[in-house]
Amino acid sequence: MNFWFGLLIGLKEIAAHKFRSFLTMLGIILGVSSLMAMFALTEGTARGMRETLAASGGVERAEINNKDPSEEFQDLAFLSPGRTMNDVEALRKGAPLVELVSPEMNMGAAISRSNKTIRLLATGACPEYREVGQFEIAAGRMISQTDVDRVTRAVVIGADVAGELWPETPGYVPLGEVIRINGIPYRVVGTLAFSESDSAKRKQAAGVFAAQNERRARRMGKTKKKAVNHDTFWQKNHAILIPISTMFNDFRTASNADGIPNRNLDRLSFRVGDLALFEETINQVRAVLERTHRGIDDFGFDTREEWFDNIESSVRATRTSGSLIAGISLLVGGIGITNIMLASITERIREIGVRRAIGARQRDIFVQIVVESGVIGFIGGILGLLAAAGFMQLLILLSPAENAPVVTFSAVAISFSFALGIGVLSGLYPAWKASSLDPIEALRYG
Amino acid sequence: MALVELHDIRKTYHIGGQEIAALDGVTLSIEAGEFLAIIGPSGSGKSTLMHLLGCLDTPTSGSLIIDGIDVSRASSNELAAMRNAKIGFVFQSFNLLPKFDVLRNVELPMVYAGVPGRVRRERALAAIERVGLMHRVHNTPLQLSGGQCQRVAIARAIVNNPKIVFADEPTGNLDSHTGEAILTLFRELAESGRTVVIVTHDNTIAARLPRRIEMRDGRIRVGVEAQVSATAPLLPTAHPGKGANA
Repeated sequence: MNFWFGLLIGLKEIAAHKFRSFLTMLGIILGVSSLMAMFALTEGTARGMRETLAASGGVERAEINNKDPSEEFQDLAFLSPGRTMNDVEALRKGAPLVELVSPEMNMGAAISRSNKTIRLLATGACPEYREVGQFEIAAGRMISQTDVDRVTRAVVIGADVAGELWPETPGYVPLGEVIRINGIPYRVVGTLAFSESDSAKRKQAAGVFAAQNERRARRMGKTKKKAVNHDTFWQKNHAILIPISTMFNDFRTASNADGIPNRNLDRLSFRVGDLALFEETINQVRAVLERTHRGIDDFGFDTREEWFDNIESSVRATRTSGSLIAGISLLVGGIGITNIMLASITERIREIGVRRAIGARQRDIFVQIVVESGVIGFIGGILGLLAAAGFMQLLILLSPAENAPVVTFSAVAISFSFALGIGVLSGLYPAWKASSLDPIEALRYG
Repeated sequence: MALVELHDIRKTYHIGGQEIAALDGVTLSIEAGEFLAIIGPSGSGKSTLMHLLGCLDTPTSGSLIIDGIDVSRASSNELAAMRNAKIGFVFQSFNLLPKFDVLRNVELPMVYAGVPGRVRRERALAAIERVGLMHRVHNTPLQLSGGQCQRVAIARAIVNNPKIVFADEPTGNLDSHTGEAILTLFRELAESGRTVVIVTHDNTIAARLPRRIEMRDGRIRVGVEAQVSATAPLLPTAHPGKGANA
C-alpha cells in the first residue's frame, strides 16, 4: 500500500467524523498555539529589552554609582568628595582601557520660550555624552569641548522638545533660537534625532502612538521625574543638554544654603574600549577612583553586562517553563489522539479484518493507522499555528504598548514538527494493536 | 499436481488448558477449475478448513500446498501475499468498506498488490461489469441492496485474478431469489475456469454443486463425496407444495 492511499484513508476518516476529529485535534491545537505564542512573546520581550539596552548605550556602557561605604570606612566617609569632575579627569588620564567618560549633572528645570513653559530634566554634559548615550544629531551640532571650556550658554534639545515649545509650527528646527532654562537664556545649537523602539515604530504605523503620547504627556505633568526615567526613548526625545561647566556655574554654585557649590556629579558613565577586557577595565577604574575618593569605597558599578545576562537568563527561563507547559499540553493532546485512535480501531476491527483478508500485510495496517494519526497531528499543527497567529493579533490589539510578539521561522518549525511528531508517536500504539489483530478474529468481530 | 493439496492437516486450539482439535487429520486435494461445496454443521471444522485453505491461518501440523507453494509454515507477510494474489474471499455479510464507493471497494485488493492507479481502475471496471453493476460504480455499499453488495464483493474477490475464490455462506444474508442469482454468478465463474469453493451448511445449495465435501468432527466424512454433473440444472425444481408452473 502506498503512502498516498494511506493519506487518503486518513483524510476520509477525519472528514467522516469532523467533530470528533476536531475534538481530538483540540489538544494539539492548544498545545501548538501556546508553544508558538510562548516563543513569540518571549522573543518579542527579549527583542524589546535588547533594543532598550542598545538605545541606552549597549553592553559597553557602565555607570559608577554612589554606594554606602563599608563598615570600616563609615567614620571616614566625609573624607571622600564623592563623584566629581576630578574623577573624570583622573579617569581620562589614568584609565587607558576606558574609551570615553561622560559626567552628568542633572536638574529638573523649567524650560520656557515666550509664554510657553515645560518642565524637563536638564542635563549638564560633556561632548562624550553623545556617544555614551547613543544620540544622533539631527541638525546643528552637539555640545562641544569648547562649549565646556568656555562655559557657553548653548543648548542641544531632544526631538520632541521643539514640537512642545513651538507647537504652532510642527517640524520647526529652532536652530539659533533662544530658550530659557530656569529663566536664563540659552541658544539652541543643535537638535537630536528622533529615537524610538521598533515596536514604537509599528505602533505609530498603527496610529496608537499619538494617543498614547498624549496620555503619557499628561501623566508626566504630574509625576515628573520618576515616570520620565521609565522610558529610555521618551527621555532621549525630551533631552535638554547644556555644557556641564555652564550647568555648574548657572545652577550649582549657589545651590546650597551655606553657599558651598555642589560639585557632585549626578551620573558618571563610561564606555569600555574592548569588551574582552571588561573586567580589567572595571578594575582599572576602581583603582583610579580609590585614589580620588581617598580610599573610601563609596562607589559601585552598574554594568550592562549584568543587565544583558539578566535579559538572556530571564528569556531562557521563560522559554524553558513555557515550553514545559506547552509540551505538557501537547502530550495531553497526544494522549487524546491515542485514545481516539484506539476507539476508532475498535470500531473498525472488521474493516481491518477485511483488509487483511484481501491481502493487507500487518505493515500496511500499521502504516495506515500511523498516517491517520499523523494527519491529525498535521492538521492540528496547522490549525494551531493559525490559532496562535489569531491569539497574537488579539494580544497586540489588547495591549499595543507591550513588546509585540515576534514570530521566528524556527519557532514555527519547532511548534509544527512537535505537533506532527506527537501525532505520529501517539498513533504507534494503536497502530501496533491494529496490525497485530488476528484476521480471523477480526473478521468474526461484531 | 492438484491446485490445492492437503495432507494430514491438524489444527488444535488451546482453550482454557484444554486441547481442542478443530481439524483432525484432513487429507484433500482440489483440482484447478473445480466448483465444490464444503458442508457440515457448526463446529464440524469447516470454517477452520476454509481459513487454512484461504491462507488466513496455518495448520498445527500437516502440509498444505496451494498452487505449488507450501504455506503450512508461512509467515504472516507470506500469507498476506498469498491471499492477495491467489485467493478471493466472499463473505456472508459482504464486508465491504462502507465509506468507499463500489469502484474503490473493488480496487482495494489491487492497492495492496501495488497495481498502478490507471490499471487498477480499468481492471476494477472490468470486474464490476462482469458482475453486472456498471450502473452502480459510484454508489456506496449503503446505497445498494444485499444482492448488489454481494456482487460487489464477488467483483472484489476476482479482481486480482485469483486461483481460488472462497465463499463463506454467500447466500446466507440474501433472500432465496437473490441467492440463486449469486449462485448462478459463482457457477459462471467456475465455468470460466476459476476454482470456486463454497462453504455452507445449506444442503440444498451444496446438493447442486458438482462436488461436495462434508465435514464432521474435524474430519471429512468418508463416502459422502458426491459427484454431480456440472451440467445439472442449478435451479431446483419447484417446491412440492407451491405448484409446478414456475
